[in-house]
Amino acid sequence: MRRRSILAAALALALVLTGCGGGGGEASPAPEGAEAAVTVNYGISNPWDSLMPYNSVSGSNYARIIYDKIYDRLAYVHADGTLSPRGAERWESAGEGYAVVFHLDPEAVFHDGTPVTAEHWAETFRLMTDPACPTLGKANFSVLTGTDENGNRTEGEAFGAEAVDEHTLRLTFKDPTTPEDFLLDRNREFYVLPTHLLEGVDPAELMDLDLWEAPVGSGPCKFVEQVAGSRLTLAAHTNYHLGTPGFDYLVITVVDKSNLLTALIAGDLDYYAFGGSVTAEDAPAAEAAGLEVLEGTVPNTFFELMLNCETISDARIRQAMELALDRELLCEQATQGRGVVTGSSISPASPYAQAAAAAPERDVEAARALLAEAGYDGRSYTLVCTSNRAGLAALIQQNLGEAGIHVEIETVDSAAMFAGMADGTYDIGIASHTPGALPLWFVESRFAENNNIFHVSDLEPYTQCIQAVKRETDPAARTALVAELETLLAQERPFLPLWFGTALHVQSPTVEGIDYASSSFSNENVWEWVKQ
Amino acid sequence: MAQYIRRRLLTAIPVFFGITLIVFLLTDLAPGDPTDLLGEGAAGAAEQAALASALGLDKPLPVRYLRWLAGLLRGDLGESVHYGESVTALIAQRLGPSLLLVGAGVAAAVLIAVPLGVLAAWRPGSLWDGLSNCFTAAGSAVPGFFLALAAIWLFAVQLQWLPASGMYSAGGEGSLPDLLRHLVLPAGVIGLTNVGSILKQTRSACLEVLGEDYIRTARAKGLREGAVVVRHGLRSALIPVLTTLLSHIPHIIGGSVVVERIFGWPGMGSLLFSAVSGRDYNVIMGVTAVIALAVLGTNLLLDLAYGLVDPRVRYERG
Repeated sequence: MRRRSILAAALALALVLTGCGGGGGEASPAPEGAEAAVTVNYGISNPWDSLMPYNSVSGSNYARIIYDKIYDRLAYVHADGTLSPRGAERWESAGEGYAVVFHLDPEAVFHDGTPVTAEHWAETFRLMTDPACPTLGKANFSVLTGTDENGNRTEGEAFGAEAVDEHTLRLTFKDPTTPEDFLLDRNREFYVLPTHLLEGVDPAELMDLDLWEAPVGSGPCKFVEQVAGSRLTLAAHTNYHLGTPGFDYLVITVVDKSNLLTALIAGDLDYYAFGGSVTAEDAPAAEAAGLEVLEGTVPNTFFELMLNCETISDARIRQAMELALDRELLCEQATQGRGVVTGSSISPASPYAQAAAAAPERDVEAARALLAEAGYDGRSYTLVCTSNRAGLAALIQQNLGEAGIHVEIETVDSAAMFAGMADGTYDIGIASHTPGALPLWFVESRFAENNNIFHVSDLEPYTQCIQAVKRETDPAARTALVAELETLLAQERPFLPLWFGTALHVQSPTVEGIDYASSSFSNENVWEWVKQ
Repeated sequence: MAQYIRRRLLTAIPVFFGITLIVFLLTDLAPGDPTDLLGEGAAGAAEQAALASALGLDKPLPVRYLRWLAGLLRGDLGESVHYGESVTALIAQRLGPSLLLVGAGVAAAVLIAVPLGVLAAWRPGSLWDGLSNCFTAAGSAVPGFFLALAAIWLFAVQLQWLPASGMYSAGGEGSLPDLLRHLVLPAGVIGLTNVGSILKQTRSACLEVLGEDYIRTARAKGLREGAVVVRHGLRSALIPVLTTLLSHIPHIIGGSVVVERIFGWPGMGSLLFSAVSGRDYNVIMGVTAVIALAVLGTNLLLDLAYGLVDPRVRYERG
C-alpha cells in the first residue's frame, strides 16, 4: 500500500513536470495569423534588457538595436557618418550654432494611431530630465540648456527642448553644436515616447509602468510579446512613415554567438545582429553553404590597450610599451588582414582622419632606452582580457617581454575587466569598441571626472583640449584643435590605440534591403527589408 | 517513513541556506556590479550611485543577504535589474522549458544506458558489451559543448533534419511536433553526455548481481532468462544505478546551462548565463535557489524511490 502511494506520488509529479514543460509553449502563444504570415527570424547573441529605452542598465548595443525597432529616432546614421531622415525630415543649425531645429515628419504615428508631434519629443525630454525620474543615461541630456551635469532639469533656466509648432522641435545646447555632431554622437540615445499615455504619471513611478512590458512606440515594428531575455516577437508597423517593412513579423531570438552562423545556414535564422558579421575562420564555411560573404567598407571595430596611469605613472614607460608593440603583427593576427594599425582613436573614415596621430614603428631598442631613463624597476604588470583574446594577450606579453617589460595575463569576463580597470585592480586591459565618425567619440567620455578609466592624475589638459574641439564649429580650425589633442595623447599615452578592423558579413539568403554596414552603428533600416 | 521524510527535510534546510549563502558571497566577490555597466555608457557618477542605492548595493553584505533571505521567505525573489520584471515571473517563464529539457535529457540517458548496461552485463564480451564500452568512453571524454556544436553541424547544417536553435519555430508556438523537433538535439546532447556513467554503473551492478546465488536459484527453478535478468537481476542492480543518477543530477543541471545557451533554449540555464554576465544579482540568486531546491528535492525523491526498487530498504527510526 505504502509503495503504491509513493508510486502514485511519483506519477503525479511526472505529470506535473510534463505539464510545466508544455506550459512553456502556452506561455507564448502564437501571434494571430502568424503561421501564414511572413516572418523574419532574427538572431542576437546577447539579450536586451528593459523595453523602456531610458531604463537600460546595460546601455548596450543589444538593447539599442531593439529600441531602434520599437521607437523612433530623429535620424538614421549611416556607417560612413552621413545622415538620413527618420523621425525628422530635415534639420538646420540655429541660435548662432547653439541650437538645432528639427522639422519632424508629419506622417509619423505611434502604434496606437496617435500622430507624433514635436510636443511628444519635447515632453519626452522634459520627463526624462525630471530630477524625480530615475532615468538611466540621464547624463546624455546634460548637453541641453536648463540641465545640470547629470542631466537633471534645473529650476529657473529655460529648458533646451521646445516644441516650436506641431512638427518643429528646437533643441538648445550649452555649447555650440552642429546638427551632425549632435546626431552622430547622441542620435541612438534619444527616442520619442508616447507621452499622451503618460499624462498624470508621477515621474518617480514612470519606469514602473506596465506600459513598458508591452510598449507603444512609433518605430517600424510593434511589440507583440516576449519571453524576457530570450525571444521577442514584433509585428510590422504598417503605418510607418518611411514605409512598411516587407514582412509581417520580426521574431528576435537570443542564440549563442557560436551558433548564429550555423542557425543561418540551417535556415533557422534569416539574419543575425550585428550585420551578420562573421570571422575570417568561419567565412569559408559560410561560402561553402552557399552564402555570400562580403567585406565591409567602413571600419567597425577599434582595438586599444587601456592603461592604468596611476600604476604605470611614468609616461616614458607607457611610450616604451607603445614602441615595444608590433602593431602590424598583432593586427594581422587578430583581423586576418582586415585591419589597419593606428596611433589614434580617430577613425580612418572620419573627416578628421588627417589630424590623427600616426602609429610609431616598432623600436625595441628605443623602448629599452626609455625604460632605463624612467628607472623601470622590472615590476610586473597585470594584463587583463576576456578569454577569447588570450592569444592576442600572449602576443602582447611576448612583445613587451622582448623590451624587458614584465606582464602577467589574467582572463576575466567583460564586466570584471572594465570594473577592474575602473577601480585600479588591473594595469593593462585589451578592449574593443565600435568607432564613431566624430573626433571625440572615444576620448570625451573617458577623460571625465566621473569616468576617469585611465586613472589620469591631471585631467585638466585633456578636458581643455576636448572643450576647445567641442566649441569650435569651423571645420579647418576644429581639425587643428583635434591635432593638438592628438599630440597631447601621443606624448602622454594614457591608452594605446592599436588598430581599426573591418568586418566580414554574410548576406541574408532570404531578406533583401539590409544595410549591413550601418547595423554596426546600432541602427537597422528594417522598413526597407523585404523577406522573399 | 513520515519521520524519515521529516528528518531529511530538516537536514535539507541548513544545506539550502548554506548554498544560498555561498553563492551570495561568491557573487559579491566577483569583480563588478550592475552599476559598472552604466559606467561604460554616458551615465554620471550620481546616476551610478542612485542605482546602487536603489538596488541596495550600498548596504553591508550581511544586510543585503538578510534582506534577500527575508524576501525569499515571503516568496519575493526581488526584481531583475535588467528586465525590470520580478525574478519569480522570469523563473516561472523559464522553469517549464528547463524541466522539460532536463527531464527529456535524463530520460534519454536512462533509456539508452540501462538496457545497454543490462545487455552488456548479461553477455560480457558480446557486441553489446563493446558498444557499451564505446558509449562509456565517449560519454566521459567528449565535452557537452563540443557534442552540441557537432550535433548542430551534422543534423542541422549538413543533413538539415532538425532545427539548430530555439524551442519553437516562428509561428509554431504551442505545436507539439514543432516542440519535439526542437527538443531532440539539446535533450539528446544532455542524454549522451550522461550515458557513460549510468551505463558503466548499470553494467557493473548487473554483473555483480547476476553472479549471486539467488539468481542461480531462480534459473534452477526454471524461470525464463528474461524474467531472471529483469525481475531479479535488474531490480537489485537499480539501487547503485539510482545512486549514480542521483549524484549526477547537479552535473546534469549544470551541463544544461551550457546546452541551453548553445541551443538558444529559453530555460533557466540561459537566464542564469545572461544574469552572470550582466551581474543581475537577484536573478542569479533566484535561479540558484530554485536549482538548489530541485537538487535537494530530487535527492529526497530518489531516496524514497529506493524503497520501490528494493523491498529490503525500509525507512525506520535510527
